Amino acid sequence: MTALIKVHDLTIHYQGKCLVNKVSFSVQQGRPLTILGQTGSGKTLVAKAIMGLLPSVLEASGTVEVFGKPVMAQSRSPLWGKSITMLPQEPWHSLDPLMVNYQQVSEVYESVKGEDGEAAFNHAIDDLTHLGLKGSALKRPTELSGGMAQRLAIASATAGGANLLIADEPTKGLDSSRRDDIIQLLQRSAQGGSLLTITHDIDVAQQLGGDILVIKDGEMIEAGSAESVLTNPQAEYTKALIYAAPQYWQIEKLRKTERKAILSVTDLTIGRGKDALASGLNLTCHTGEIIGVVGDSGCGKSTFGDTLLGLLPPLKGEIKPLLANTKSHQWLKLFQDPPSSLSAHVTLQTLLNDLVKLHKLDTQKIAPLMEKLNLPESILQRSAKDVSGGELQRFSILRALLLEPVFLFADEPTSRLDPFIAKEITELLIALAREQGCALLIVSHDPALIDKCCDTVIRLDQQKHKSVA
Amino acid sequence: MILQLKINQKVGVGLLLGLLLVASSIVQLSPYHIADQDLSGRLLAPSAEHWLGTDHFGRDMLTRIASAIQLSFVLSFFCVLTSATLGVSLGVITAWKGGRMALGMDVIVNILLALPGLVLVLLFAAIVPGSLLVLYLAITLTQWVEYFRVSRAITNTIINSPARQLSQMMGFGPWYQFRRHIWPELTHSILTLASFGGANAILTMASLGFVYVGIQPPLAELGLMSVELFPYYAQAPWILVQPLIAIATLVFGFHLLAGNKHDGAH
Repeated sequence: MTALIKVHDLTIHYQGKCLVNKVSFSVQQGRPLTILGQTGSGKTLVAKAIMGLLPSVLEASGTVEVFGKPVMAQSRSPLWGKSITMLPQEPWHSLDPLMVNYQQVSEVYESVKGEDGEAAFNHAIDDLTHLGLKGSALKRPTELSGGMAQRLAIASATAGGANLLIADEPTKGLDSSRRDDIIQLLQRSAQGGSLLTITHDIDVAQQLGGDILVIKDGEMIEAGSAESVLTNPQAEYTKALIYAAPQYWQIEKLRKTERKAILSVTDLTIGRGKDALASGLNLTCHTGEIIGVVGDSGCGKSTFGDTLLGLLPPLKGEIKPLLANTKSHQWLKLFQDPPSSLSAHVTLQTLLNDLVKLHKLDTQKIAPLMEKLNLPESILQRSAKDVSGGELQRFSILRALLLEPVFLFADEPTSRLDPFIAKEITELLIALAREQGCALLIVSHDPALIDKCCDTVIRLDQQKHKSVA
Repeated sequence: MILQLKINQKVGVGLLLGLLLVASSIVQLSPYHIADQDLSGRLLAPSAEHWLGTDHFGRDMLTRIASAIQLSFVLSFFCVLTSATLGVSLGVITAWKGGRMALGMDVIVNILLALPGLVLVLLFAAIVPGSLLVLYLAITLTQWVEYFRVSRAITNTIINSPARQLSQMMGFGPWYQFRRHIWPELTHSILTLASFGGANAILTMASLGFVYVGIQPPLAELGLMSVELFPYYAQAPWILVQPLIAIATLVFGFHLLAGNKHDGAH
């Protein structure tokens, strides 16, 4: 086995602050390496250092060898596309939104491999057929789902013939079956070469196998084969990371005597426009009940929540609120992407004041609730763009709970957050919803999370309501 | 707000404000009136009595230029204000309500866009020559379309943003949603459009003056002055240059104010 990438004592500084400290590892041919760590641990910087894409304001030291030769940042560009390639985070950002899908691939065949138009077109169509994207060849990236866009990005990145792949969070925001597809595709694309994956998802590391490197705050915490690290972790941090996954959560179930019905749904058919996504849904929501909706992407999970909130009209059936005297602002939604659900032009304090003024809320309640949510007072002086995703999601929860909601629809509230923060937020959300007697509808693509948290589970892929309360 | 401007934008603001201030104080303090003729003192060179010389009727150039600059400012200000208000409100409402109104607006906007702006203004100006009101209406009519299209496109994306939906769910009214979510996204583009719009209004007015359908004599107007003084370019080049420099400075000031495409709002 030969080492395709060898990194020795890589250290990255920014204005005297150490971002990555003495990281060393090697990627062997045919043996994938996974770098595991939280958001902000410096994982992405390591990948960029290997590609030679570090911004010039960062000072890097140490050596990086690719294919046995030490390379400088400038001399790496001839390798790009032909022998080494990188899949950046968020496929949307790496695809051209104005170009039809097949061109995104055929362009690589033309420009990188120097094929003529017809050969490049045929190759591109072959690739898309292979990935099950043939039907979308003439569509544009915005018309694709997350998993399809990621497959297209992989096709485009590997069309140049590179089989040494660096994938940065390739499965972020994807549901479990899409995630497995992407992992298999990555493994196939890296045949004959190797694969360096950066992720915070333990399942991804497990499926890929090979070696694992755990990074925290730019420091190497643990390294070894996937099997030994995951089954017998040595460092405390690694253990914490593994046990932050939903299957290890401990959440108390609701006691049945406490509940009061707030909403009944009978024989509901949901859909956007004219196409029905799911039908025959029956449900009764109670105060303090946690209802989980699970299913693959595109099966109508979010549509279900939006229909219950009255944002979308039901195609058939009836939704009947059972509590008298509830106001429309007590039926709320928590969005998937915290930064996009708050205006970034004013401070969080202003957003909070707006709400207090509108509904004449009791300001006394804010401080204790903020303490419960672990939100420091100082955060209110900043605007949404200067606050981390986890904190913003907690702030969104604060705003929602101040309105004393009777029904809260949380649409994948933690799927874009790393496991530690996801666990913290889900637990807080559930505890506070129980305390306030608010029914909580959680939508997630992670069956483990739903099974652990929820009193009632609706599986939409089978189009049947199955209660496990 | 002023503090957030780039250095070139500050220079633009300074240039325009300075010009306006100087022009209006000259109009106030000058011993001459724009129509005071003195046929014995025609085409005089700059002197202590007439700082910028006199024109072919012996009228004081300094007073006339100052008055013309003031007129250009007032007209461009009202054109920009009206067209921006009209364009933004229609754009936001159309994007928000959609439906038949959107279809109707599409037809109107396409008709207006198909007509060259200057031809439309010329048509209006030719019907009622010399009317400031008609000039103002005609320029506004050609300019609001830009504001409409930009604000409609931006509003369309914000209407579907989770942030606005959440505000609506929490019970905030349309005015709050506009102020908190839509307006902050619009300001940067609208200010840029307004700066170019100001420059365009001045140029349009000068073009009309140049072809004699805009402001009528004896009122001082930069375009009209350029064409009136044109026959004397060999005898008195310094007076022909004055309105041209004034137009160039005004347009330059507005373009500086618009900033460049790299200084986005973020």
